[in-house]
Amino acid sequence: MSRQGLLEREEPLRSLQAARGRAETGGCVALVSGEAGIGKTSLVAAFTDTIGDRSFVACGRCDALFTPRVLGPAHDIAERHGGALKRALDSNAGRPAVFAAFLDMLRAPNNPVIVFEDVHWADEATLDLIKYLGRRIGETRAFLVLTYRDDELSARHPLRLVIGDLPRQHMVRVELRPLSLGAVEQMASASGAHAQGVHEATGGNPFFVTEILASGGGISASVRDAVLARAARLGPRAREVADLTSVSPGGLEIGIIQQCVAGADDGIVECESLGVMGTAGRVLRFRHEIARLAILDALGEQGKRLLNARVLEALRAKDHPELARLAHHAEAADERAAALEYSTAAAERAAILGGHREAAQHYTIALRHADDLPETEKGELLEAAAWEYQMTGRAEEGLKARDAAIAIWHRRGDVEREAACLGRMSGLLIAVGRNPEADMAMRTARSMLEGIPVGPTHALVYRYHTYLRMLERDVAEAIADGEKALVLARRHGDLESEMNVLNSLGSSLLVADDERGYEHLEASVALARAHGRDYHLANAYGNLGSASGEVHRYRRALGYLDAGIEFCAQHDLDGSHQYQLAWRSLAHLHLGHWAQAAEDAAAVLALPAATAISRIMALIAMGRLRARRGDPGAWQALDEALALSAATQTLQRLAPVRAARAEAAWLEGEDSAAAREAAAADGLARAKRHGWFVAELAYWQWKGGKAVDVPEYASKAFAWQAQGRWKDAAEDWRERGCPYETAQALAEGDTNAKLEAVRIFDELGARPAAERVRKSLRAAGVRRIPRGPRASTKAQPAGLTRREVQILGLIAEGLTNAEVATRIHISPKTVEHHVSAILAKLGVASRREAIRAAQNREVSPM
Amino acid sequence: MARYMVERSFPEGLGLAPNEKGAEVVAAVNATNMEKGVTWVHSYVTPDRKKTFCIYDGPTPEAIRDVAKKNCLPIDRITEVRVLDPYFHR
Repeated sequence: MSRQGLLEREEPLRSLQAARGRAETGGCVALVSGEAGIGKTSLVAAFTDTIGDRSFVACGRCDALFTPRVLGPAHDIAERHGGALKRALDSNAGRPAVFAAFLDMLRAPNNPVIVFEDVHWADEATLDLIKYLGRRIGETRAFLVLTYRDDELSARHPLRLVIGDLPRQHMVRVELRPLSLGAVEQMASASGAHAQGVHEATGGNPFFVTEILASGGGISASVRDAVLARAARLGPRAREVADLTSVSPGGLEIGIIQQCVAGADDGIVECESLGVMGTAGRVLRFRHEIARLAILDALGEQGKRLLNARVLEALRAKDHPELARLAHHAEAADERAAALEYSTAAAERAAILGGHREAAQHYTIALRHADDLPETEKGELLEAAAWEYQMTGRAEEGLKARDAAIAIWHRRGDVEREAACLGRMSGLLIAVGRNPEADMAMRTARSMLEGIPVGPTHALVYRYHTYLRMLERDVAEAIADGEKALVLARRHGDLESEMNVLNSLGSSLLVADDERGYEHLEASVALARAHGRDYHLANAYGNLGSASGEVHRYRRALGYLDAGIEFCAQHDLDGSHQYQLAWRSLAHLHLGHWAQAAEDAAAVLALPAATAISRIMALIAMGRLRARRGDPGAWQALDEALALSAATQTLQRLAPVRAARAEAAWLEGEDSAAAREAAAADGLARAKRHGWFVAELAYWQWKGGKAVDVPEYASKAFAWQAQGRWKDAAEDWRERGCPYETAQALAEGDTNAKLEAVRIFDELGARPAAERVRKSLRAAGVRRIPRGPRASTKAQPAGLTRREVQILGLIAEGLTNAEVATRIHISPKTVEHHVSAILAKLGVASRREAIRAAQNREVSPM
Repeated sequence: MARYMVERSFPEGLGLAPNEKGAEVVAAVNATNMEKGVTWVHSYVTPDRKKTFCIYDGPTPEAIRDVAKKNCLPIDRITEVRVLDPYFHR
């Protein structure tokens, strides 16, 4: 391959070099994209050529195996450069260790450059690695280059989400375009081919152009034909080499080629000199994937099978053959036993490294060849596959696998295994929101276990049972079963179940307003920490935050959520992160921190793939905030929240949505609509005897003018308000730190209370609520009602910026320009500039006048 | 993206001079708005300059409030609006 200067690539090359320069002050990611054959690899090679020896350069690639190698590029780099990364991968240390080792490599002081090629083929773990590095690369001096085919990205390709997640300020995009006619003319000049014809046929695709020009023949109709025309010039030995190598995506070890093809060396040399292939290290590979596929297709089915079998045999003899490759060749060679063995092993390895998508794919292949497996092994294989299907959102396949496993255990009369499988199946059904079916599976499992002495399976089934009851808010049952489940889990040393049950039990107690719940959840936190179970720890924080929020203990909720959110960010636990952010926005809303509430809610709503429950809670917060402020868009948020909640049919989504909608309606003066909204969830709340939901919904029905009975278990503040005990309620809300709710209660009181309510509403910016109280005060003939938020104390009429107000404030204290500069860490020149702007805006000529004018207009620092 | 009308009150009267300094204020306001994807279209001002009705394009009401706070501009009320003019029905 000649690199006598790539044509029309000066600008992309400069972009990469400039970005790398910037990376020296803060790491950067470059995305190089374009259609197949556009020259991404050539560009990157030209770029790395320009890097001096002082920098560390490492390259890894993703290949087009049926199922990609998990952490393929990381393996490539580890093989070449060794070190901590290789140790982490070889020792089966698991994901966190591998990712941390990779990050350390990026932290090296010598401005490392890392290249991952063809990430449109990346496995799930590599995608997660890219996300992980992208979030942290700003703190390093590293430059990460990713190449991919943008024409292979469907709308839902997982790479899109990863790209969307990369921090924009540390990212640069280089898109490669086809060559112009002029460039093709330049390339064609030596061979005398008809440039215009070539350009038309190839669309300016560099690889296609090269192939056509090299084949020396006429203009081929397709790239494939061009490649085959070129390959037709190979001698028989060289063609054998090419054919053999074509079945191995990513290239083939020269040692293996020599084993399989007599006189391979000459053939290899010929392939290289003709430019069809190239060597990198001890691997021979096609110059381009397009070429490999063309040669591969030309082999025919029989030929493919034979050559794959040969490569498989040679690979088996190696020391540490990669499982994904063995699985690929076994499948392609149609060797069923080998395909089963290697796919299973590859699946297990992939799962450890968090490549769940790949694990699921490998298991699918394994199952296809599993007909002759002894039943027990087949059952276990099905269950392992089902778990991976669950992890990757392939619920239907997971259920089918579980059903098949259950049938096996049933045939063998293995009641315990059957019950355990049913238990896990209910877990899957819960995960996709099919709670009634989960319930049925659960009950079947439990009744099966009745005749059997208590064992570990009981712990498992009871754990799922408790979890489901908690989700359904069947609190009394959840608590009773949870206590049993806890004993069982501890007795049988089932740590997973113990943590899970502590969470369910603790949450159930909390939503019943029983503080003992905190003990259980804190115990769960301690366990998760002690055993390094990040996922469970995040869940425990999430439960502590959301359950506290559900019973309006917002100050406490905020403490847990702040800690939990930070933990999730550090450990890339996105699912829990989103849910906790949504709940934190609710906590901020009810504590009167409206700006923070907006920020957190907006962060969740901006996510393209947020979970439904996270989105619902964020929409509730946003909708409620807008309604309270009187801003547009409240019903847009609350309508979507209702639609999403209706799909779940669970109380802890429906009740808050209806309460928020009732409030929004009431703030618009639609009292009967408010009562109707609240009534819609009332039945379900009462069926579950949920103190807080029943109280709030009863309250809004009362506000809407509907007669309603308030049961004695209904929670205080709202219940009191519905019974006219506004003063006690206001006290309670004040103790909870909820200013808006306090004002709401006061607004139901006497004139003085109402005046206080107006003051609070004004301070919060709750325009509709304030207006409603003012109206009622006027109707009662009250004269001296405060007029509204004093705009002059909140804003600078002259349009001073925040910085200018800050500087004016310091000048008013008597500081000189130089002192101001030192105080706020800017240059004296900048201060002078600001001061003259201030004088102009205030329309005065001196600092003294400025201070006086400002005081007259009540300019106050923000 | 939506269009909003933002009502503001300036008890002392809005002071925005139609000169170079005024232009600097506008430039600063625009720069801050850009950070949140907010665009100031134009404003209507009462003769005594105590009340303004400002037309903005922006992604959400929260973005409008965010940039208003940074620009030290008060907000009385935000309403979502669409344009309707006499030529619409022709």
